[in-house]
Amino acid sequence: MPSPITLTINGSLHSIDIHPGELLRTTLRRLRVYSVKHADETGESGADAILFTRTPEDATSYRLVNCGLILAAQADGASIISLEGLEEESEDSATRSREEALSPRLSALQQQFIECGAIQCGYCTPAQMLAAQHLLDKDPQPSEAAVRAAIAGILCRCTGYLKPVQAVLRTAAQLQGKTPPPLEIDVRDAPATGEWPTPDELPPDGWRGSGPDTQTQTRSVPVTVAPPQTQVVNKAEPKVDAVKLAKGRPVFTDDVEMPGMLYGGLLTSPVAHARILSIDTSAALALPGVHAVQTYADLPRVIYASGGQSYPQPPPYDQVCLDSKVRYVGDRVATVAAETPELVQEALERIKVEYEELPAVYSPEDAMQPGAPVIHDEDDAQMIHDAKGNIAVKLRVDHNDVDDALASAAFVFESEYRVHQVQQSSIEPHIVITYWDEDDRLVIRTSTQVPFHVRRMVAPLLGLPVRRIRVVKPRIGGGFGGKQEMLIEDLCAHLTIATGRPVKFEYTRKLEFTSARTRHPQRLRFRSGVDATGKLVAMDVRVVADTGAYGTHGLTVQMVTGFRALSTYWLPAARFDCDVVYTNKPVPGAFRGYGAPQALFGLEQHMEEMALAFGMDPVEFKRINWVKEGQSLPMAVAMGEGREGFPQTVESSGLAECVETGAASIGWDRRNDPEWKAPTDRPHIRRGIGLAICMHGTGIAGLDMGAASIKLNDDGSFNLLVGATDLGTGSDTVLAQIAAEALGVPLEQILIYSSDTDFTPFDTGAYASSTTYISGGAVLKAAEDVSRQIRRHAAAHLFDGVDANQLWLEGQKVVAPDGQSVPLETVALHSIHQEEQHQIMATASHMSYVSPPPFAAQYVSLEVDTETGQVTVEKAAMAVDCGIAINPVTASGQVEGGMTQALGYALCEEMPYDPNGKLQIDRFGDYRILAADEMPQLDTVLVQTYEPTGPFGAKAIAEIPMDGMAPAIASAIFDATGVRIRQIPFTPERVWRALQREES
Amino acid sequence: MAILAEYHKPTSLPQAFELLSDPASRRVPLAGGAHLVGALETRQRRDIEGVVDLAGLGLSFIEQDGAYLHVGAMTTITDLTEHPLPAELAGGILPSTARYEGPLNLRNAATLGGLVALAEPDSETYAALLALNASVVTVDLNGQETISPLQEFADAWPAASQAPSLITGIRLPLGQAAAGHARIARTPMDRCIVAAVAVIRADGKSARLEPADGGGNTASARVALCGLGPHPSLADGPHSPDGDFKGSPEYRLAMAGVVVRRARAAAGATQL
Repeated sequence: MPSPITLTINGSLHSIDIHPGELLRTTLRRLRVYSVKHADETGESGADAILFTRTPEDATSYRLVNCGLILAAQADGASIISLEGLEEESEDSATRSREEALSPRLSALQQQFIECGAIQCGYCTPAQMLAAQHLLDKDPQPSEAAVRAAIAGILCRCTGYLKPVQAVLRTAAQLQGKTPPPLEIDVRDAPATGEWPTPDELPPDGWRGSGPDTQTQTRSVPVTVAPPQTQVVNKAEPKVDAVKLAKGRPVFTDDVEMPGMLYGGLLTSPVAHARILSIDTSAALALPGVHAVQTYADLPRVIYASGGQSYPQPPPYDQVCLDSKVRYVGDRVATVAAETPELVQEALERIKVEYEELPAVYSPEDAMQPGAPVIHDEDDAQMIHDAKGNIAVKLRVDHNDVDDALASAAFVFESEYRVHQVQQSSIEPHIVITYWDEDDRLVIRTSTQVPFHVRRMVAPLLGLPVRRIRVVKPRIGGGFGGKQEMLIEDLCAHLTIATGRPVKFEYTRKLEFTSARTRHPQRLRFRSGVDATGKLVAMDVRVVADTGAYGTHGLTVQMVTGFRALSTYWLPAARFDCDVVYTNKPVPGAFRGYGAPQALFGLEQHMEEMALAFGMDPVEFKRINWVKEGQSLPMAVAMGEGREGFPQTVESSGLAECVETGAASIGWDRRNDPEWKAPTDRPHIRRGIGLAICMHGTGIAGLDMGAASIKLNDDGSFNLLVGATDLGTGSDTVLAQIAAEALGVPLEQILIYSSDTDFTPFDTGAYASSTTYISGGAVLKAAEDVSRQIRRHAAAHLFDGVDANQLWLEGQKVVAPDGQSVPLETVALHSIHQEEQHQIMATASHMSYVSPPPFAAQYVSLEVDTETGQVTVEKAAMAVDCGIAINPVTASGQVEGGMTQALGYALCEEMPYDPNGKLQIDRFGDYRILAADEMPQLDTVLVQTYEPTGPFGAKAIAEIPMDGMAPAIASAIFDATGVRIRQIPFTPERVWRALQREES
Repeated sequence: MAILAEYHKPTSLPQAFELLSDPASRRVPLAGGAHLVGALETRQRRDIEGVVDLAGLGLSFIEQDGAYLHVGAMTTITDLTEHPLPAELAGGILPSTARYEGPLNLRNAATLGGLVALAEPDSETYAALLALNASVVTVDLNGQETISPLQEFADAWPAASQAPSLITGIRLPLGQAAAGHARIARTPMDRCIVAAVAVIRADGKSARLEPADGGGNTASARVALCGLGPHPSLADGPHSPDGDFKGSPEYRLAMAGVVVRRARAAAGATQL
């Protein structure tokens, strides 16, 4: 029965009818308080935290609570403050001046969050800022520990908390009338890479390597300039989307209202492997308000692969929307569309499914046994390597004769490592809203990294041509690879097709864990040989990977594992042999790092162990072997993205400088201090420091393509439309900076929009560390074209007899060598309205046959409790060569956030199963994501090199921070205790057992 | 997504019992909601038609009652740890263990009654209450108040509550005491795998302090353990933990000795 309650929200009284089971979060969102976010059902995320009191007359009585853990009925009569309530200080809107209305006011905290780069995806930002403001109201001069405790209940998967904490402390200083300390981003230039190109000078070989440009436009005038000559690039510009995120505005997929919208839901399999004998949906359909129930019997059977990748999808093709067989606990069984979420739940519980259970396998070893149950026995799956043997993909790559080389090596070493399954865990779950527009086209509003792939991939599943589908990507609350998948768009769209109504389908946190995507577990065996001087002569890598019930990214992730394992150090001979194996487990897919963290956990330890066995200092051993400028990457040709690759040569590397800089940051010398390593006052503690070398890629050579279009407006501003997908990384900002630099305007003159398949040009999407380099390359080309058009028009009509090639754009003007200038606005008005009227506009695409590797050195210092096995990381320091950092703040934010995820991978995140393949975690907390008050000290150094093929010298940075943490921690544990642990995560019991074994 | 047909907010205990004692109604008491609302939302609890909100019963209070501290069941964990009387007990063991009950936004909603009723195996605050020798106050349908020692309470609750009764509060003995706390977890602020809380009272015979190494007169310390059974328990009992992905039975048993020794030593090192 609906009953009325009253709520005071941000000072305004509301009366609203609610249902007994309605959450306060639901009620607040019904009242358009969109800053409260859904991230989980059990409160650990804190994304829905608000300030709440029943005694508002006492201003100190407000408490920070999660409105998703309070029933609306409980809140009757309460007073609530949300982020929206922090905006206006005293006056009501009627008395606000016109100026204020036109120029939104930001609180000191909001300003600092924006300035410090504390906002990445922005999904947790409203709750985080509310928690911080609440602290500042009580304690105007908080300690760092107090700030960390205050925001500890709001999980952030993007930032690593460093910048949010910094923002709060700076706000406190500012509110005390002090000048906050300057933003400190440690950026230094690698000395070894020589001189920067100057504005007048092409890079040594021009735009070499970026392809014959048959598919793309030729660069006309490279406007590449390096620091300090740039005006916008290489500067700590605030994120272009920061204001709306700081204000908690409705920008995410869920933040829209659709008349007549239904809710979608998914019934998942309770068993690991079974045939569905029957499904009875009648009781569900009989419920008033249930509009559709769909099972395999209702949908066309179209085979597909769900990984969001370029056409043609890498094999195998082993999925259908809904199947008559289930292959893991959490697999799709049936969907429901109904008028309320409660009805959806009730309907799902009324569907009766009769399963014929089949034997199941949970490890690749078991799955590869003769006679093991066959997971894909359907006859219409395509391009499975060996379906009867449960082998989805087989990879075998040889470079020269490894066996010969090993036979002649002076020393051969072999070792084996294991990595486990973890999850991307973006704070915003997978969510999609589908509806028919007025032209009978299907609109898919979805939280995705790959809007264009989704449109192409979903079309055949729905039986619609691509032209009848429009995919809209609003702001995304984090992805990390988990949304590089066409995961639930098909199911939601089928419900809209069945009902004719808008349908919203959002995963619960439990569904995220059981039925989204994860990182591939692997067993990696390395066998390498060196000559008498310690130079590697060959490496042989054997990997057995678990791809769960479906192949999706199985081929390409494992290919990256092989490429990273066999390219970081220069090898005369190399072999990669890999089986990607089906099991009855939830499905791995793309996860930031994409096979590289797995490879490097094995590789870096293997190198260290080998050095010690050979009798060499491990760092020196790595130094003489790591790949250097001018060296080729022989494996690149053989290991493309599911197809033939392209030859690669390292053009820039600041690795030596990274290793040196990181060592200074971590205090490497402490390794030789017995007092530090074994503190006498804590006899059970041992301390150690570890290092791992990292090398990654920048986009997928010869495959990733991004396009951009730029249009000049009347006032000299520009619209920049990109298909690239900002997941919170700041890529919109970086792309706008590139355009602004090339067009000689400040950042605010660039109005960037991403992405909508109807309006923006194609982009492969946000993955493979490609956006800055690939999409940025497209933006630069389009900007150069627009610049050329502007200069041509200006030369023809507004300058007397000046050659267009002698003009340049600077300070929002077209400038001539003699100092004459014409404002861009004048050119715009003239070209649009006055003479030779036309729209100055350009579209450009960029694809690259090279993928220049960023390099990094990852250091950690830690302590091991030798009695309990508990490992506590004291500090993590990473020095990264990302080329020129287009935006040092967002770049360092990528490193901090990546290191934090990598710490979770190494220490505490895991997906345990019971003997029947049922996941034993279904909530944050049990799945431990590091919180603000338990973080080690993080230090990031950007070691800049100039990458000649990148826009303004840039390479990638997004994924490399994921790669080195686990091996660096393994190395530090070894340094501390002398015990080598070849399996992650380093949970207390695993470390304790390793120490026990060593003792006995 | 909670499917709930009824919400009630009685203003007296008799009203609450009237709502809860109807055998056909499938109603349960609702305290802060920090656990129950999530359990409803995830459908972990599907057997509930209605909730009876206890917020109107005046059960949020902290009072000194002679040699005891009386804390109402609806007192939030935050209120418990911010109030000077409980906060200063035994050198502040309640605030220092409450940090591990969850972050501030959860402690602001979770109640002491909920914490006692749930008796989660990794609740270090529960272990601290055990070590502080807390008693649970319950009231039954007829208004009969019962005070039972916490260590006996968990096993009996709620199975023995066929006739509805409600936790209305806890009683904590006041008096000078020192406490020590030791824990093992995957990360510094994670819920514990194994933990121990030791309390040494400065009254009568147990006033003699232990040497810092944990030897000596161990009988003077009251020690409670987390992670060794279905709920926290006193350290001297037999333990046969089930084990889970965070720690096997073998590991938990081995670690019990370590954390008990460390907690005792920390308590013993404190000047009373």
